[in-house]
Amino acid sequence: MSYSRRPPLEGIRVADFTWVWAGPFCTLQLAHLGAEVIRVESQSRICVTRLLPPWADGEPGVNRSGYFNQYNQGKRSLALDLKNPAGIEVARDLVAKSDVVCENFAAGVMERLGLGYRELRRIKPDLIMISLSGYGASGPQKDFVSYGPAQVPLSGMSSLTGYRGWPPMHVGISYGDPTAGLHAAVAVLAALLHRQRTGEGQYIDLSQQESLIALLAEGVLAYEMSGTQPLRDGNRDPHMVPHGVFRCAGEDRWVAIAVRSDAEWKALAAAMGKPELADDDRFASAAGRKDREDEVEKLVAEWTISQTSESITEQLQAVGVPAFPAMTNKDLAQDAHLQARGFFTYLPHPDVGIRQH
Amino acid sequence: MGEMALAHLRVVECGSLVAAAYAAKLLADLGADVIKVEVPRQGDPTRQRGPFPGGVPDPEASGLFLYLNANKRGITLDPRAAAGRRLLERLVAHADVLIHNVPPAEMHEHGLDYEFLSARNPGLVMTSIAPFGLSGPRAGYQASDLVLWNAGGIAALNGGGPGTDDLPPLKAFGSQAEFQGGLNAAVATLGALFERLRSGRGQHVEVSIQECLAAILELAFEFWPYQGLVASRLGMKPIQPLDFMECRVGWIFLCCIEEHQWAAFVDLMGNPEWAAMEIFSDRLSRAANWDALRLFLAEWVKDQSVDELYRAAQARRIPFAPVSTMGDLLASEHLKARGFFAAIPHPRAGTLRYPGAPYKLSRTPWCLRRPAPLLGQHNREVYLNLLGLEERELGALAAAGIV
Repeated sequence: MSYSRRPPLEGIRVADFTWVWAGPFCTLQLAHLGAEVIRVESQSRICVTRLLPPWADGEPGVNRSGYFNQYNQGKRSLALDLKNPAGIEVARDLVAKSDVVCENFAAGVMERLGLGYRELRRIKPDLIMISLSGYGASGPQKDFVSYGPAQVPLSGMSSLTGYRGWPPMHVGISYGDPTAGLHAAVAVLAALLHRQRTGEGQYIDLSQQESLIALLAEGVLAYEMSGTQPLRDGNRDPHMVPHGVFRCAGEDRWVAIAVRSDAEWKALAAAMGKPELADDDRFASAAGRKDREDEVEKLVAEWTISQTSESITEQLQAVGVPAFPAMTNKDLAQDAHLQARGFFTYLPHPDVGIRQH
Repeated sequence: MGEMALAHLRVVECGSLVAAAYAAKLLADLGADVIKVEVPRQGDPTRQRGPFPGGVPDPEASGLFLYLNANKRGITLDPRAAAGRRLLERLVAHADVLIHNVPPAEMHEHGLDYEFLSARNPGLVMTSIAPFGLSGPRAGYQASDLVLWNAGGIAALNGGGPGTDDLPPLKAFGSQAEFQGGLNAAVATLGALFERLRSGRGQHVEVSIQECLAAILELAFEFWPYQGLVASRLGMKPIQPLDFMECRVGWIFLCCIEEHQWAAFVDLMGNPEWAAMEIFSDRLSRAANWDALRLFLAEWVKDQSVDELYRAAQARRIPFAPVSTMGDLLASEHLKARGFFAAIPHPRAGTLRYPGAPYKLSRTPWCLRRPAPLLGQHNREVYLNLLGLEERELGALAAAGIV
C-alpha cells in the first residue's frame, strides 16, 4: 500500500490569537493535521504557559516551559504588539492570507481591537473564525470572567466528582480546556469541509461551559428524568462491582480494577486464590456484590496490598479482567507500550534541546 | 438555514458504550446520515446503563443511550454470522465513514478489515477506536473507563491533596475516558475526510484512548522529561485561594489567580483585619499558609449565598464559579438565553431536555432532528431502500436472527 505523505490540512493557514490552554489545544489539533498555524504573541502579554513550570533543567525562561512547549508543537510564532495600531494592521494582513482565525480572549476583546468577525470577513470573505470563551458570545453572563480551573465546577462536573461524603472536587487537570479545544477542532474541520464545497466561511461561538456539559449527559439526564442529583461516589459505578483503585506494594502505588460481569468476578476470585468466593451466592451477581460493596472492596484490597500494580495487572489481564496501574507521568514517559507505538515526539528545540513530548 | 455542514456524508457506526457513539454523534449533529448498527435483541450495552425515567430500567429509555444516539438511524445486524457480515460489507460500500470501537482482537470476526472494505470502497475512512490502540504489546488488554482514566495518567493527578495518602487516585464522573476517545476520533476522521477531497482516497484512522488521555495532563507530564519530577495528587496547590468552600446552601469555587482578584475579594469581604496579615500577602504565601487562611475564609463564606457571592465576585471581575448542580444547569437563565438544552420527544422516554450544541456555527448550525432510534427501528428503510433487499429476504434474515 502506498501512503500519501502530504498531511490532511496541508495548505491551510491558521491565524492563532489564542493563549493559555483551551485555544492553543484547538490549534494544536490543526497543526498536527498539517495546517500552518501562526501564533500571534506579544512581549507585553506573554502567554501564561510560558511563565509556568516545568522548566527545562529547573531553569526558568519563556522558551523553557514544558507546558508551553508541549501544547505548541508544530506551530510558528509571530511577535506582534496588538496595542499598537501598526500591529493591528499586520494582524489584518495576516488574516487576509489565512483560512481560519482562532481566538480565546474574553468576550468582546477582538471587536475592541478591530479584529471582530464582521471586520475580518470584509478583508477575507470566506473566513472561518472561532471564538472560545468561558460562557459563550451571547447570553446574560457572556461578560463573566472565567479561568480554566473554574470551568470544572461551573459545568457541573465537580458536583458529581469526589469521594463519598467529601466536598465537590476537581478532576486533576483544567479539564474544560482540552475538552473545549477538541470540540473547537471538530467545529473548525466541519466548517472547512463546508467551505470547500460551497465557498462559504462562517463564525463559530464555543462556550467552554457548554462543551463540558456535553460530556455530563448522564448527570443531566438523571436529574431531568427523576429529579435526582447523582451522589459523589468515588471510583464506584452503579453497575460494576468491584470497581475501584486499590493500594499495591510500594510507595503510593495503585491499581484500577473493573469487573464488568459475573464471569469476570469468578475470574477475579480465582486469580485472588479464593475460588470459594466465586461459588458464594452472596457475591454471584452484581446486585449482591453491590449490597456488600465495602466487603468486596476489602477482600480485593487485602489481595493487592502485597503485590505490585504491574503484577496485579498482568494476572488479571491474563484472565480477561480489566486492570491497569494508576500511571504517573514518569510511568507514562517510560512505558514500553507507548514507546513501541511511537506515541512520543523527540524534536530538537533551540533552547531546551531534544525533550520527550 | 442552509444545508448542514456534513449533510453530504453517510456514516456507519458499530459502537458499544460511549467512544464510537460520541464520535458519530458529533458528525450526526452537524448533518451526517449516521446509521448505527446494533446486535439484534440486545443492542448497544449503553441501553442497560441508564439513567432511566423514575429509575426503572428500560432498554429503550436509557438516558445515556438517548443522548448519544439522537440524530442517528438504527439497524440491527449480527456480525458474527456470515450473512450479517455480508450485509455490513454492503452497507459500508455505501458509506463515507465507518466508526467502531470493537476490540482489536474481535475486529476480524466482525468483518472490520480495512484492506478488504477499502478494496470495495477506496474512499472509505475507517476509524478504529481501541483502549490501547491497535498495535503494541498491550493492544489486547481489556479496559473500562475507570481503568483507562488510570492508564492515561489523569487519575494519579486527582485526590484529596496533602495528607490524604490513604485515599486512592480518583476518577472523574461518568465515562470521560471514552468521551475523550470519541472527540479525538471525530477530529481525526474529519481530517481524513478533508484529505480525501484532494486525494480521492480514504484511510484507516486509529485512536488509542490511553494516548488521548496521556496527551491532556496539562503541565504534569513534562515534569518528568524537563525536571525529573513525579507529579502527585498529594501535592500542595501552588497558589491560593483556588478551592471549594461550603456556603449556606451549596458550594462555591473560590478562584483568585491574579493579585488584583485577591485584593478585590478582600474588599468584597469588607477588608477583615486578618486579611492584612503578612502570611497572606501574596498568592504563594497564601498557598503556603492555606491551612490558616482556609479557616478564616470558611468562617465568612459559610453564611453567604452561592448565587449572591458569585454575582458579587463577578461584578468585581473575580472569576469565582458556583459548584453547579444538575438542577442549577437546567434552570440557568444564561443557558436558557443561549438555547443550550435541546428538547425532543421520544416514544418511550417522553420529551426530555438534553445537553445541546457544544458550538454554534453561524451558517450551518448544530441541530437536533430526531430522537435516538428504537432497537432496529430503521431496518426496513435501510435494508429495503438503501441496500435494495426484497421483503422476503429481509423476512428470512429476521427469522434467522441475523437482523
